Amino acid sequence: MDPIERRVFNQGALIGALAFVVGGVETMLTPREAEAQNVPLRTLKPEEAKTLAAMGEALVPGARQAGVVQFVDQQISIAPEEALLEARIMNVRPPYANFYRAALGAIEGASKERHGGRGFAELNPAEQHDFIDAMRQNKIEGWKGPAGGFVYAALRADSVDVVYGTMDGYAALGVPYMPHIAPTRSW
Amino acid sequence: MANEKVDVVIVGAGASGSVYAAVMARAGKKVVLLETGPDWQLSDLISSDFWGRRVKPAGPPFLLEGKNPYGYVYQAGWGVGGAALHYFANFPRLMPNDFKVKSEHGKGLDWPINYSDVAPFYDKVARDVGVSGDAKAEEIWRPAGEPYPLPPMKTFRGGEVWKKGFEAVGIRLAPAAVGMLSAPYKGRPACIYDGWCHVGCPIGALANPLVTYLADARKAGVEVRAHSTATRVLTNAQGDKAIGVEYYDANKEKQVQEASVVVLAAWSAQNPRLMLNSATDRHRNGLANASGLLGKYLTAHFGSGTSALFDEDIQPYMGTIGAQYFSYDRYDKNAHKAKGAFGSTFLVAGAAVKFSGIGGVANARGDLFGPELAAFMKRAARGYTRINAFAEEMPLIENRVELASDKDEFGMPLGRITHSYNEDAVALFNANFEEGLAIAKATGAKEVWSNRGAMPTIHLMGGTIMGTSATNSVTNSYGQTHEIANLWVAGPGIFPTSGAPNPTYTIFALSLRGAEHLAENWGSVAG
Repeated sequence: MDPIERRVFNQGALIGALAFVVGGVETMLTPREAEAQNVPLRTLKPEEAKTLAAMGEALVPGARQAGVVQFVDQQISIAPEEALLEARIMNVRPPYANFYRAALGAIEGASKERHGGRGFAELNPAEQHDFIDAMRQNKIEGWKGPAGGFVYAALRADSVDVVYGTMDGYAALGVPYMPHIAPTRSW
Repeated sequence: MANEKVDVVIVGAGASGSVYAAVMARAGKKVVLLETGPDWQLSDLISSDFWGRRVKPAGPPFLLEGKNPYGYVYQAGWGVGGAALHYFANFPRLMPNDFKVKSEHGKGLDWPINYSDVAPFYDKVARDVGVSGDAKAEEIWRPAGEPYPLPPMKTFRGGEVWKKGFEAVGIRLAPAAVGMLSAPYKGRPACIYDGWCHVGCPIGALANPLVTYLADARKAGVEVRAHSTATRVLTNAQGDKAIGVEYYDANKEKQVQEASVVVLAAWSAQNPRLMLNSATDRHRNGLANASGLLGKYLTAHFGSGTSALFDEDIQPYMGTIGAQYFSYDRYDKNAHKAKGAFGSTFLVAGAAVKFSGIGGVANARGDLFGPELAAFMKRAARGYTRINAFAEEMPLIENRVELASDKDEFGMPLGRITHSYNEDAVALFNANFEEGLAIAKATGAKEVWSNRGAMPTIHLMGGTIMGTSATNSVTNSYGQTHEIANLWVAGPGIFPTSGAPNPTYTIFALSLRGAEHLAENWGSVAG
């Protein structure tokens, strides 16, 4: 790893934060902090972010506030070899932004098709639940994009990461995190 | 750009490459180790499931096909240490019945060696890296060998709660042998049982190459070149000698490293990809491929996981990612013959479980989402545990890696892995779920369930199998290719059959055997 990459990695890892751009300046924030500060998105379009926020929250309660949109947006905006996404483990072929665009587009398209032009974020909780249940079983007719079950697994994993995979997440469930090398700001 | 010729150039700084580097450097050879990924340090190994993904490959340079596409990223390496930087460090051995499957059952392949050929190297590796376990307890299943240098690891409730269940179905358990330190060893500290092994152990209690063979290699003067991606093995005009390796450096400039011996230790799929891409007029189908078997007979393991949820606080997050207990009581190839299955099964219990990631608590019920998932997480955080039955598939010639038409950034064709399980394997997968559920029910757990899903692919072996001649294999039992004496292959790619257990202990042992043979026979091998 060259010195520049090393510096960025260590900086991020040691404070448990990612590099977000705020007012043109690179700033180290956790996704939760980035969400709270409404940091401008780099790659996701507003409608994609809206769908992802709604889907993340429906998959894992707390994901919206925990910054699932900021997490994904930041991660798909950096070099693939730097990415921390579960999509990497799921053999998604970089650039990861292509997968997320296709996945979120498929969700939005299918939701509008099934619900009279309403996007996923406009559905009520029961409708969202039924939609997700069908999606995860690849049972949405006319689905256009990566397989619904695969999309479910990837977005669920992102949401689990930001809600449960953090030091805050462990604390919320009353389980000691016990790191060898800690992300020191609870992410 | 050409570099000064060295004695040995090794491609890949993982488990097998590190062993070769250490042995050859100690033998006084000048060694260069090329690694495509970063030069990780222990301080890079952050205790976090998502930070841990950084030490794994980024996206597939391999295209995946077949009924059971080989999902490899979780278990593959990228950077110094390779997959052994983040492996589970379970150290089970192959068993005597793994070496003559074809002769004894008419299925699969034979190895050209026996258990007794490998056993001394299991013992040597145990001394080298520090294995904790109870060898005597294992000898109900295998021939006697040396005791492990360290006593078994501590056990925790997440493992102990399974003992009653195994006993009820008549399966014996032994303390798991692991490449982890139950006590300080050779200047390395003992394990502190925090359960973060799967993202890398930064204290060095787990035997990853950075603190074992690679550390030895560096001390002996091996030069490690990170961010160096090999693209071809170069051969002489006659095609009977390897003369070096072509690679691209960190600045993406083409380099040539000449060497007297070339060792390919990249990975079971990457080694054949390199050899296929090194075709010449003398080796039109790829190097050392007279048999036509280069890239063929890939094998994978599959696991049938069974979960249990206890009301008791069993602290599932404590311990190590390695097993607390293991068993070979279903290792007979016909153990589940009555259910139409063939192949060995290796049982493990008591791995620590964290919350997120592919093996995390949240994935124990992948069907749950929303408030139901939140409720499950509250209960499972302190009460969840699982066992796993790992099993083998027989080598099939159609499971293979080959070159695709797409190319990578260096113009090298991507590899395409085609993988499907046959009926024997599917039947074994199902039989192990059935038995796992019986074990789980007998524990008295509040809830039990099978972790059924797509049939997983775990580890990758074969592709450059060893055998008795160039007509039936790519290498001999040491990893030396039959056709080019100074071109060697290291790693699980040389396994003709997979057995059922985690392969890394065997990778270390076979690499040590091969490297020592190379050093002892240097004069007749080096080009």
